[in-house]
Amino acid sequence: MIELIKATKRYGNNEAVKDLSFSAPSGQIVGLLGQNGAGKTTTLNMLTGYFPPTSGQVLVDGMDMLKQPRECKRRIGYLPERPPLYDEMTVTDYLKFVCRLREVKASAIDAHIKEIMQECGLKEVAQRLLGSLSKGYRQRVGVAQAMCGNPPILVLDEPTVGLDPRQVVEIRELMRHLGESHTVIFSSHILSEIQQLCQRVVILHKGRLIREADMSELTASEDVIRLQAIIVGRKAQLLPALKGLNCVRRVKVLPDPEPGLTQVELECNARGNDRGDPATQLFRLLCAMDAPLRMLMPVRDSLEEVFLRATSEN
Amino acid sequence: MIAVWKRELQSYYYTPVGYVFMGVFLTISSILFYMQILKQRSSDLMTFIGQMSYLWMLLSPVLTMRLLAEERQKKTDQLLLTSPVSLPGIVLGKYLAAMTVMLLTVLCTFAFVGIVAIYGQVYPGELFVGYLGFILEGCAFLALDLCLSGCAHNPVTAALMAFGANFALWIMDLLVDVVSISQISDALEFLSLYGRNEPFLMGQLSFASIMYDLSFIAALLALTIHSLDSRRWRGA
Repeated sequence: MIELIKATKRYGNNEAVKDLSFSAPSGQIVGLLGQNGAGKTTTLNMLTGYFPPTSGQVLVDGMDMLKQPRECKRRIGYLPERPPLYDEMTVTDYLKFVCRLREVKASAIDAHIKEIMQECGLKEVAQRLLGSLSKGYRQRVGVAQAMCGNPPILVLDEPTVGLDPRQVVEIRELMRHLGESHTVIFSSHILSEIQQLCQRVVILHKGRLIREADMSELTASEDVIRLQAIIVGRKAQLLPALKGLNCVRRVKVLPDPEPGLTQVELECNARGNDRGDPATQLFRLLCAMDAPLRMLMPVRDSLEEVFLRATSEN
Repeated sequence: MIAVWKRELQSYYYTPVGYVFMGVFLTISSILFYMQILKQRSSDLMTFIGQMSYLWMLLSPVLTMRLLAEERQKKTDQLLLTSPVSLPGIVLGKYLAAMTVMLLTVLCTFAFVGIVAIYGQVYPGELFVGYLGFILEGCAFLALDLCLSGCAHNPVTAALMAFGANFALWIMDLLVDVVSISQISDALEFLSLYGRNEPFLMGQLSFASIMYDLSFIAALLALTIHSLDSRRWRGA
């Protein structure tokens, strides 16, 4: 569990992060979402103890980062925006150095590194100089470095930026895998990435928190649900009937998948009324009209919409 | 701290820096040895050591320029500062690594002593005191230049600042004899690192000089730690 409490960071007169509080419960993957310059990196730097907040607190498993820095830092592995690699070292030497920094027992270092290299796919570059590695490998060494000493919390700053699509998929897989046994906090401005990986999302805008919620909460709007349906029948006949349902607010016609089928998106009152919830009402109506239903599914807001709405409001 | 020390020491010899430092130092000191001792058929090691100690001024920035400035430039300090190592541990580890390379180099200069010992007379007490002053002066320059490396944004700036500071100290030493206002020249003499080395070269084990050098080093290391810490608070 890692928490940020009312943290503010000022660079001179510029407030990069203001009054920010959020927490990452153990065992979850938490995404930090925001545009460039929203304060993501500053937030992560505060969480990992790279610098302290101007005011406010960082708590790791209940311990204050300022009062017990060693204890706190031992629990966190950090991959900064730019992997902190010493170009003149080999991958193995570098990981050994990080293990020693993180106080791994000397006798356990070799086995530990072997395991990490296996997990991050670094075996074939074990003896290469860090300066000669491609960007994808550098990033992987960066992740490996964060895993040294088995910290229960991993903090990754834009781990997939600048990688080719294949590498992006690989790093995401690795993160998903790590998420099973670690608390992972990562930042990104790529919405789909967060949507795929995270259980919890924190949205930042201009250094302020605008939403913190579980992914499922965030993408479900409270009072409106939307249903996408494919129905056998003609538009002329169906549309007036659908509009006639009193729980339906709006009907949006989507392109027909095949001739003879009608595809619509219905925006409905979530609570329904005395005749049941919107899906039930729709089903009954179509039964009565003898118009078979081919597909019915709830449409969730994409994170993109939530994000755009949230950032434009502020 | 030991991890940092070990990495820095490795890094000196993974890169040309360690070899360049030792190579240049030993080449120039060999030339001095030839001119001062062999050519003159003298066994006056103290004058020779006194001349060698001017090399610290030139070469100490080579050892210190990367130590902190490069961490900052390449943002590798993010690894150190988010690891369970204290700031004093980091600074001390780096300082000791530079000092180790320096001491290895000093060890090599014992070859000169050996030559003199074979063909002439060496006085162990005098030699010990001479070397003590020599090493203390080197350590003082390393501390000063390390501190400046901590202030610089990149190694080149760090090196230039360090050269500037080292020369300023040297010029201060020259000014002692020139300035006619006694208060100023006294103050300069008090502060001068070279001046502090003189008793050692005359074979005196001067506790005042030892204390001055040690407190000079301690103060600059503390200043380095403080400046790094204050930069963390500023977040710059």
